[in-house]
Amino acid sequence: MHDGSGRIAVQNLTKRFGAVAAVQNLSFTVEPGSVTGFLGPNGAGKTTTLRMLLGLVTPTSGAATINGRPHHQLGNPARVVGAVLENEGFHPKRTARNHLRVYASAIGVPDRRADELLGLVGLSSAADRKAGEYSLGMRQRLALATALLGDPQVLVLDEPANGLDPEGIAWLRSFLRSFAQQGRTVLVSSHLLSEVEQTIDQVVIISAGMTRYYGPLEQLRQSQTSRVLVQPADAGELVKALQEAGFTQLEPTPDGRVAVSGATVKEIGDLAAKAGIAVYGMQEDRADLERLFFQLTAGQFSTGQAPYGQQPPPGAWAPPPGYQPPQPGHPGYQGQQGYPPPPQGYQQPQGQQQGWGGQA
Amino acid sequence: MMGNLVKAESRKIITTKSWWILLIPSVAFALAFALFWGAITNDLNDYLGSSDARELAGLLGISLGELPVGLLALAHGVNIGTIFPIIFGVFALAGEYSKKTITTTFLTAPNRGSALTAKMLTYIGFGAIYGLVIVGAASLGTVLTVDERGLPTAGQWLGVLGAGILATVLATLFGIGVGAVWNSVVGSVITLTIWMLIVENVLVFVSFGWLDITWLGGVLPNGTLNGIVGAIGAEAFGAAGLSVPGELDEDLQWLLQYTAGAPGAFAWWVSAAIFLAWTMVFFLAGWAANQRRDIT
Repeated sequence: MHDGSGRIAVQNLTKRFGAVAAVQNLSFTVEPGSVTGFLGPNGAGKTTTLRMLLGLVTPTSGAATINGRPHHQLGNPARVVGAVLENEGFHPKRTARNHLRVYASAIGVPDRRADELLGLVGLSSAADRKAGEYSLGMRQRLALATALLGDPQVLVLDEPANGLDPEGIAWLRSFLRSFAQQGRTVLVSSHLLSEVEQTIDQVVIISAGMTRYYGPLEQLRQSQTSRVLVQPADAGELVKALQEAGFTQLEPTPDGRVAVSGATVKEIGDLAAKAGIAVYGMQEDRADLERLFFQLTAGQFSTGQAPYGQQPPPGAWAPPPGYQPPQPGHPGYQGQQGYPPPPQGYQQPQGQQQGWGGQA
Repeated sequence: MMGNLVKAESRKIITTKSWWILLIPSVAFALAFALFWGAITNDLNDYLGSSDARELAGLLGISLGELPVGLLALAHGVNIGTIFPIIFGVFALAGEYSKKTITTTFLTAPNRGSALTAKMLTYIGFGAIYGLVIVGAASLGTVLTVDERGLPTAGQWLGVLGAGILATVLATLFGIGVGAVWNSVVGSVITLTIWMLIVENVLVFVSFGWLDITWLGGVLPNGTLNGIVGAIGAEAFGAAGLSVPGELDEDLQWLLQYTAGAPGAFAWWVSAAIFLAWTMVFFLAGWAANQRRDIT
């Protein structure tokens, strides 16, 4: 029988579909009492990994266990783990209540559990409507209710925010937090860090089927040094002065400013004054996680474009020789060094909901 | 645990309509075929009573004109009805794949084997309901059309009831197996219907007419499924099973079997055993496929 720990362990997990390696040698663990984000771009292997964890897809090699056991050895698995999966089906002609009752009997919980959960996810008034008449958001709620039928210790959610309205997303966030605070385990996947950033404490970042980072989100946040955006009269002169003073983590910004990492506003101001370069403005820029996330995951795309940072915006300065783009220095970082090439059509994320434009 | 899963499978069936919608054509076709064949068999009895089939009657020790021809009407009614429990069976697993409910089914069962076992047990029960209803409809068609002298005895009728339920139960499992292997509701239903109603009949006719093969209908799926009930009628005339009188002309024997809806059939239990083998072939192949199949 399983050990009741609530721990998810993925070890050297690999899955090949024919010639395509969907997941390659993936390893991470998820501990109870926290919400872990499982992040990566679309096509990174998140769904395949979660489905292997749930026994729906057989790994080519490696193991994925919950409570120390593969899914088919959990006994009554829905009592241990509940799952909200993309592409999950409901019989379109079966009512929501009947759907939950079917699986309540399979799990062996009383029928009133179905009504309790309909209430919890806010579907009581639509309980006797057929699932085929449900909106995407309602189906997500029904999927969550199904996942919770067995009062599981572990909850696995694949892109749960899809189709939810902002109110629903806010509700889901607080629900997952309180679920984890009861000492239970939550693993939630998303292709948008911003979507889950406020919910998760731990993060597993994968790209092209491989782990890029796993550990506390806070550590990832701190690993990203803050930058100062400087708007000088002569960018080339400023870069030269900074390099001479030993500041080499420099980068042009699309709007023609110079982004300086590893230096304070005061240091830059003093240097500029000494070199006689006019500075029209300086702004401290705590690089957001979304950007770091993009750096960690963008490696799976290859395009003919020059890497970001080597492609100056029109009218901007050309990087001097010896210019090094900043490198994430965190020990958990396993991705490639420097700025990888952005995907075709990539736009710098601007809003909270902005994704990868035009990318499959 | 298995009780919970069987309860869940039963709920899946009764919370959607297909199980009773498929009962409607089961009843309609069983009734219509029994009515049609019942009307014809009276003439057959008249023909046997007046024609040169005396040799046959003498061999069987049956009074001329009093053969239980009602069995033929019953058998044809039941045989056409069995196509619907097959379709019903296809929905069991292939239907879950097409509606994508299979994910939740596998997530809430201890393992895939137990989910499939629960399905099998549940569909045996519903297959028996189809058997009861179909034999009932065929019996109604028979008593409405067949003259009293041609009706089967109570014992023969009970035999038909038992064989009919066995046939529909096996037909349902056969449908589950084919659906589990092929994993497509539409493909399985269309192919099975065409095969059972047309292709196999053509094969049996062609092989009998041109190649003089009489046994083909006794081994193929439709022939063996029909033989479970049809052989009872054919046996009553001595045209099937181990009690075939040696002198009975082989062609006449085949014709009588065909009239009973079971050309080439052996004894009913041999037909049942061969059809069970067909069912097992598909069921086990479907089982194996489902143990391995990735649900993506």
